[in-house]
Amino acid sequence: MTTSVQVGTELPVHEVFVDPGRMKVMTALLADPTPIHFDTRALVALGMDERPVNQGPLNMGYLQTMLARWAGGRDRLLTFRVRFQGNVLAGDTVRTHARVIELLDTDRGRVARCDLRLDVVGGGTALTGTADVLVPLDAPKEEIA
Amino acid sequence: MSEVSSPDHSALVGREFPGGEYVVESWRAWLVADTLLDDPYDEVPHPVLAWMAGVAGMGLTWDELFAWFGASASDGPVFGEHETALHAPLEIGARYDVTGRIVSVERKTGRRAGTFDVVGYELDLHRHGEHVARCYNSIVFPRREAA
Repeated sequence: MTTSVQVGTELPVHEVFVDPGRMKVMTALLADPTPIHFDTRALVALGMDERPVNQGPLNMGYLQTMLARWAGGRDRLLTFRVRFQGNVLAGDTVRTHARVIELLDTDRGRVARCDLRLDVVGGGTALTGTADVLVPLDAPKEEIA
Repeated sequence: MSEVSSPDHSALVGREFPGGEYVVESWRAWLVADTLLDDPYDEVPHPVLAWMAGVAGMGLTWDELFAWFGASASDGPVFGEHETALHAPLEIGARYDVTGRIVSVERKTGRRAGTFDVVGYELDLHRHGEHVARCYNSIVFPRREAA
């Protein structure tokens, strides 16, 4: 984990293959009737690529997993903000990117604010955003240059 | 991208969801982690469950929520933006009270995307009166008929 966190620290990359079977499980967990996540015929009728579209929560979750692993636990994620920029399709591989842009002292402890991005390998950007995660107190507090 | 008013649905801003409750069952936490290729045996539920708890406990089905805006799942609604603030970690087995509301409705027109409505809503999770999480999310409804 984060033994020497500072502004500019890059978080380890997390790469995930987007399996349509897992998308179907998420569809059931969410009780989400939107057919673009599982019904290839419906996708064609909408004029879209026939590969199902990954659910937004899954794309968010890949970034949250990366943050939690780096910070030392899921309980260390405080805030998470993203904008959906593009679709992730079944069969894609996605790759996370994150960098510490600020260190803050808060009433919950020292917090690293991170820039986030989820990219489709060989494609475009799917998500961009920021997140706040708790880090050890020995992380030096600095302002972004 | 230009913006035009959406008088038909802007009256829904402020409308509260019926609300309800949600239990982070261990089997559900396991499956959610597994769909994310994350550790299903972690003792702390995955953070994405904050939003999932909110929508499962808001007291409306997706179809009912879409119908508030004259849309259906077959229109292909997608996520726009999301924000989660966790004031305390989620716990497996915990029961959360869920409240929520529509916070914004905006009609936009883009060159590539055509006409669409962006609907923002927020969801709050409370446990024993303690505010555990707030999630904001926006849904983009394509309005092909208005293009």
